[in-house]
Amino acid sequence: MNATITPDRKSILANIRIQRFTPGEHKSAFYDNFKVNVETGMTVLEVLRLIKNTQDSSLTFRAFCRSKICGSCSVRVNGKPLLACSTQLMPILDDFKQESVIIQPMRNMPVLRDLVVDIDPVIEKLAKMHPYIMENRGRIPETLEQESLMSRQELTKFDYITDCILCGSCYSACSAASADPNYAGPLTLGKAYRFSADVRDSFKGERMQAAVDQGLWSCAQCRKCINVCPKDTRPAISIQRLRKMSIDDGIHDTPGSRRAKAYTDDVAKYGQVNKPMLPVIVNGPKGWAAIEAADNYLIKHGIEPTHQVCTLDGQSSTQKIYAKVKELESRGENKT
Amino acid sequence: MLTYDILIIGSGGAGLYAALESRSEEELRVGVLTKIYPTRSHTGAAQGGVNAALANLDSTDTWQDHWFDTVKGSDYLADQDAAEIMTREAPMVVREMEHWGCPFSRTDEGKIAQRPFGGASKPRACYSADKVGHVMLHTLYEQGIRHGVNFLNEWQVLSLMHDGTRCQGVTAINTQTGRVHTINAKAVILATGGHGRIYWTRTSNAFGNTGDGTAMAYRAGLPIKDMEFIQFHPTGLRRTGILMSEGARGEGAYLLNGLGERFMSRYAPDKMELGPRDLVSRSCETEVREGRGGPEGEVFLDMTHLGKERILEKLPQIRELCIEFEGVDPIEEPVPIKPTAHYSMGGIHTDINGQTEIEGIYAAGEAGCVSVHGANRLGGNSLLDILVFGKRAGKHALEYARGASFTPVSTEQEERDTQMINTMMDGKGSGITIADIRHAMGNLMAEKVGVYRNASDLESAISKLADLQEQFKQMRIQDKTKAFNTELVSALELKNMLDLAEVVTAGALERKESRGAHTREDHLERDDKNWLAHTMATQGADGRPKLEFSPVTITEFEPKARTY
Ligand SMILES: Cc1cc2nc3c(=O)[nH]c(=O)nc-3n(C[C@H](O)[C@H](O)[C@H](O)COP(=O)(O)OP(=O)(O)OC[C@H]3O[C@@H](n4cnc5c(N)ncnc54)[C@H](O)[C@@H]3O)c2cc1C
Ligand code: SF4
Ligand code: SF4
Ligand code: FES
Repeated sequence: MNATITPDRKSILANIRIQRFTPGEHKSAFYDNFKVNVETGMTVLEVLRLIKNTQDSSLTFRAFCRSKICGSCSVRVNGKPLLACSTQLMPILDDFKQESVIIQPMRNMPVLRDLVVDIDPVIEKLAKMHPYIMENRGRIPETLEQESLMSRQELTKFDYITDCILCGSCYSACSAASADPNYAGPLTLGKAYRFSADVRDSFKGERMQAAVDQGLWSCAQCRKCINVCPKDTRPAISIQRLRKMSIDDGIHDTPGSRRAKAYTDDVAKYGQVNKPMLPVIVNGPKGWAAIEAADNYLIKHGIEPTHQVCTLDGQSSTQKIYAKVKELESRGENKT
Repeated sequence: MLTYDILIIGSGGAGLYAALESRSEEELRVGVLTKIYPTRSHTGAAQGGVNAALANLDSTDTWQDHWFDTVKGSDYLADQDAAEIMTREAPMVVREMEHWGCPFSRTDEGKIAQRPFGGASKPRACYSADKVGHVMLHTLYEQGIRHGVNFLNEWQVLSLMHDGTRCQGVTAINTQTGRVHTINAKAVILATGGHGRIYWTRTSNAFGNTGDGTAMAYRAGLPIKDMEFIQFHPTGLRRTGILMSEGARGEGAYLLNGLGERFMSRYAPDKMELGPRDLVSRSCETEVREGRGGPEGEVFLDMTHLGKERILEKLPQIRELCIEFEGVDPIEEPVPIKPTAHYSMGGIHTDINGQTEIEGIYAAGEAGCVSVHGANRLGGNSLLDILVFGKRAGKHALEYARGASFTPVSTEQEERDTQMINTMMDGKGSGITIADIRHAMGNLMAEKVGVYRNASDLESAISKLADLQEQFKQMRIQDKTKAFNTELVSALELKNMLDLAEVVTAGALERKESRGAHTREDHLERDDKNWLAHTMATQGADGRPKLEFSPVTITEFEPKARTY
């Protein structure tokens, strides 16, 4: 101590490449390059603001809290969705060993201007998911003289999801959302699980139906949402749990849950999945059309179709693993 | 013309609670208009807790204890009847939040967890890890979705309209299209938050905490109250003003000046770094003023001696904050900090139902001033204020709107506002930018109307602010696109901030005493004989603030020296 403090602050002249687009003014998106002296300590947001303040005041982006809690400022930097306000730029320049970065708006949502996207479609999907508690009168007293009791274990089941700031980064990265515009998206399904796992809630059934209708079984479990979430709310895990909940609660009558059930039943029975018969199990009699089409295709290529399950050596060990998993599950859900 | 029976401006805790309270099963149209998306509001940034004497941790706690702590904390400037209502109703509103699904942390018995907080005699801050404002805001928003609350997102209100006795509505610009609209409303609730941004980068507040509603009310002739009282927090990060909580100092972090000295030994030799917020803020400021700051007028929070293990174990979030926002790892080097403007005690003058002097116009939350915080707000009382008075304003507005008729309004104001915007968009201007003026304003306010104040600084601030007003008139917006013009949004906010900065400064100059957050170097004592009074500012015919003073309501606790 007692030596003068002289912080080590470095600075690089960097090229910041930003996607620009104003609907109605431009035919298509294009890029502008800005030269900025990036210093140690500067966040992506500070760089955007510096450009707006000193080089081009029409550069458009959202930001509000600048402290990682409001979820306004998601953009993509070198392709990855992140919060501009809590991302240091210098380490990114160092990582890519380049004096240049590219900043673009989030994907899977229409661009309103430059880096600003329209999040209304996502909010509308969220609203359809019944994202709120409906009082379970077994747990929540009628009067404000008393609070409801909830154990720490009960809270832990969903507390990690309440960190979500609705920033949309996961939606931008989501494989299922780019394949199917009707897919609810990771944050929305995460919220569905959050409420259904809350012992104070009484609306699980309706919410589960909404989740199923909006693609609970369309998630590809690619886990990109987990990788990009700045709040570590792990949507893909919530989706798995919601799926399990839907099966446990007996919402069997959906293609996804039927497929899941067929998988698990087959594994229990044969030690492997009876793939040839899946279309029928999942889609009912309609599935035969798919099987016939596949059969014809195989015959055309000189292969004899089979609807039998082929058994393999070692199937008994698969069955053992399955039995073990069931046993673990019955002892209680895994915690993260 | 858009019409609403009740129009709520702002979607922070105060606005959303008012909306839930005033939504009704009847045929009333209730809308929430907000310049961002509801869950982006600054309420979400509150980390510590919300106060209510639930007595879950200390069974001897009562709302009367809370009442006294609040009054004492306010340095006796709070109205005691209002503080009584707030502390008495606190347990109800916190339980209501809980019943709506707010995930508070839990005690061993499964009750709402509580923690000790500065200025509170018992542990009564209800918390949810370090995200209480965030979960409260989201819970209110979720219930809003459930009850079909009507949201107008990314709309910015420009002017408040009344006919001298009754509310007429507002004008507002839809940011996504750039069009100005007149909105006729029986009742308007202003829940637009604080104005910490008049200190620009020297604040813990969000970019949009620019006091729009307060400035609008002021321009519409309503009195705004106790504006000179701004709470400073000693440890904001150098670059951004983002808050570093007391947690680090609690773990044993040192405050060092640029020479590497533990300077608190000069000011609070016993308590050192753990002295009260205002004292620590003043000490940091003095070091810099006397030339012992770092290269950029900062001091340092040093944790290096705590060692890697202890930092990783006890202060992981604080470390993350330093790395993400300042690019400094506290394990390796001291973190540069500056005192940061944190909370606006003053605001639109209202009664205990949130009502202003104009029928049908209400204010609640940080934008309002009932007054429950007086000269200094206690940690955890602001989230409580927004719940209790948001709810009361909503309830009262509902009753009012049920009985009242619409007061007709012309499009005159809309035309004036459109004209004002066109003028700002027209031509090239003097070359001065919003960023220049904002920067100058923030530095001026931090230097001359900051932690320390004195007559000559304040006088020079008044004249410099007038210069900035002039420069603002010459300023032109370079972005000529109508849709999503964020430069225009900023210009409109700056106009509001310049108006409020002047009122804050004028109040600080007039108040010749030191009370709570207001410290006059030339009048260091509290002076109850002359200054136990609320400052009421209205805009004079010349556009300058006119100050009057009104008595403080004292019902139970006679003013005493405030010692801890
Ligand atoms: C970092 C930090 C930590 C804090 N921690 C605590 C704590 O632990 N405990 C505590 O009690 N308090 C705390 N506070 C204080 C507390 O968070 C705020 O005082 C409180 O949340 C204010 O709520 P509000 O509803 O009045 O306003 P806000 O939440 O600020 O909302 C204002 C709303 O008004 C809207 N608005 C503003 N202008 C316009 C316009 N022109 N047109 C349309 N809409 C507009 C905005 O969009 C926003 O929705 C903290 C504050 C900060 C900055
Ligand atoms: S795991 Fe599912 S929800 Fe997550 S990104 Fe992949 S497809 Fe989307
Ligand atoms: S789940 Fe994570 S990435 Fe997705 S919106 Fe919420 S905070 Fe953002
Ligand atoms: S600005 Fe709020 S999260 Fe980045």
